[in-house]
Amino acid sequence: MSGRRVVAIFRRVAQEIRRDHRSVALLLVVPVVMSGLIAFIVREGQSPAVSAVVVNPAGPPGLVVAAALGVALEADGGSATLAADEAAARAAIEDGSASVAVLLPAEIAPGVAMTVTILTNGLDPAGEATQVAAVGRAMLAATASVTGIVTPTIERTTLFGVPSDDPMAPFAPAILGFLAYFFVYILTGISFLRERTGGTLERLMATPVTRSEVVGGYLLGFGLFATLQVAILLAWGFGSVEIPALGPLPSFSVGLGLPIAGNPFLAFIVVVVAALGAVSLGIFLSTFARTELQVVQFIPIVIVPQFLLCGVLFPISSLPEILQPLVGLMPLTYAVDGMRQVLIAGADLGTAALQTDLAVLTVVAIFFATIASLTIRREVA
Amino acid sequence: MAVQAGQSKAPDPGAAVRACDLVKTFGSIRAVDGVSFDLAAGRIYGLLGPNGSGKTTLIRLLTGMARPTSGRAEVLGVPMPSRAVLARIGYMTQSDGIYPGLTVGENARFFAAVYGVRERAPVDDALSMVDLADRVGAVAGTLSGGQRRRLSLACAIIHGPPVLFLDEPTVGIDPLLRVGFWAHFRALAAGGATIVVSSHVMDEADRCDELLFVRSGKLIARGTGRELRDRASTHDLEQAFLSLGADVEATR
Repeated sequence: MSGRRVVAIFRRVAQEIRRDHRSVALLLVVPVVMSGLIAFIVREGQSPAVSAVVVNPAGPPGLVVAAALGVALEADGGSATLAADEAAARAAIEDGSASVAVLLPAEIAPGVAMTVTILTNGLDPAGEATQVAAVGRAMLAATASVTGIVTPTIERTTLFGVPSDDPMAPFAPAILGFLAYFFVYILTGISFLRERTGGTLERLMATPVTRSEVVGGYLLGFGLFATLQVAILLAWGFGSVEIPALGPLPSFSVGLGLPIAGNPFLAFIVVVVAALGAVSLGIFLSTFARTELQVVQFIPIVIVPQFLLCGVLFPISSLPEILQPLVGLMPLTYAVDGMRQVLIAGADLGTAALQTDLAVLTVVAIFFATIASLTIRREVA
Repeated sequence: MAVQAGQSKAPDPGAAVRACDLVKTFGSIRAVDGVSFDLAAGRIYGLLGPNGSGKTTLIRLLTGMARPTSGRAEVLGVPMPSRAVLARIGYMTQSDGIYPGLTVGENARFFAAVYGVRERAPVDDALSMVDLADRVGAVAGTLSGGQRRRLSLACAIIHGPPVLFLDEPTVGIDPLLRVGFWAHFRALAAGGATIVVSSHVMDEADRCDELLFVRSGKLIARGTGRELRDRASTHDLEQAFLSLGADVEATR
């Protein structure tokens, strides 16, 4: 071991990194910015006000409880209005005019045990949990203010099925979509960078091939493997194959066995379209990278903000107000929402929300494919 | 068929390759600085000059890979860049420009497909011409440097282009292989192809029909090896380059 050689290598490393301004920025600036963003989201995150609709089949005593609930909710900036019946309440939640429905029992009288059901949409499990908790607290305050009423038991249900007791279920749609997007981006970005730096793109551009042909070919090529990846990922996610006990081996199951309300093929389409967007994003961003390291360096800029803002980690409704416009700009937001629509709400192609998600994802894929093809010739020349 | 362009200033209507006052600047650097010439079909032209003299930039302007700051490049009578003409140009870049993950055959067939060649024969012909027919199944990344260079040449000639730009094709090639390369070039020229070979190796120059000396982005002299030696009153091309270059520096 020679100290001099170690020092020589140390100096070489330091000199090289110092010249690569992007690596220096990545090391020194990005962690500060990222932790700042996360702190901002967590600290400034809002608990959106509860807008409840109350269904009261219990007559006058129910009205008293509903009024008390309204007062309790208004103290936190929320509101409570009466709905004619449960069907009207469900409709209000579906069209978004109410965030929570409170279903009072048929009989409310002093000394009678009562069960109150809180109904939410079900698409945003983490976000709705804070709403349910707020309504639960308001309900307790309301019943305490009405003399003689027994503290109610609170049950929870969702518009789209019963909330799954699988703790992975709320995260699954987002995680599956995110993973596919992320790996396809890395793979495409690095491959296309090789095409640029390996001299083959220069050579390719000296043939009659057009830029859009190059991007189209890449979309098909990586699209094929993205499709394969998504198929395997979803089969693993939703499938659960029981392997019977064999000799000393106990039986076990392969696959995550996640619940899915809608058509798995639709979930597949959502993720594939998102992944095609990642292919064109990878090609586009490789323009701005000179090394593989620099493709990886785009992750904190391109992937991490999407991860933070698309609703995987933090419910979108709880994000600070000024970040809300950004949420709409993140392609992953639509992939995650699309997956939730299919997995939780059982959306089909006729569902407006899913149509919007698919349309946005398609437009994003075409947009990045177009600007990716526009950047090719410039890079070469 | 071959029109002797020589030093004549009159534009040659049948020129295969033409540069008209080509200028390419990168910031304050004039990489190509007012170059004009006509190159006739069926001849081998040597583009000679030291590293950084503007040879590669000149070739990139002629192939339409870069847009000139001013002036015009024409190939087969069509102003570049032109996609239609690209199908009739072979371009061997300074880097090998082959896919290391594909086999020799897959590389050749890929470039054939891109050039619109559907038949099998041209692919086989090109590979046997560069003596790689027996390595068709070998992964390009495992080839030796010389074999990669030969594959690169094969990919440039697979579509039988009438105009061929070879950017330092013999760099890193052993003398024996170099002789083989020049035999290929001569055969292609005999078939009517116009070949522009850039090099900074003066001893290759005498294999060309005509030489173009490039220095600091300018065309400083043009002629056969013998003519240039005579003009510089020397027996040594390298000496000729230096003294003709000095003339340019003096008249600047």
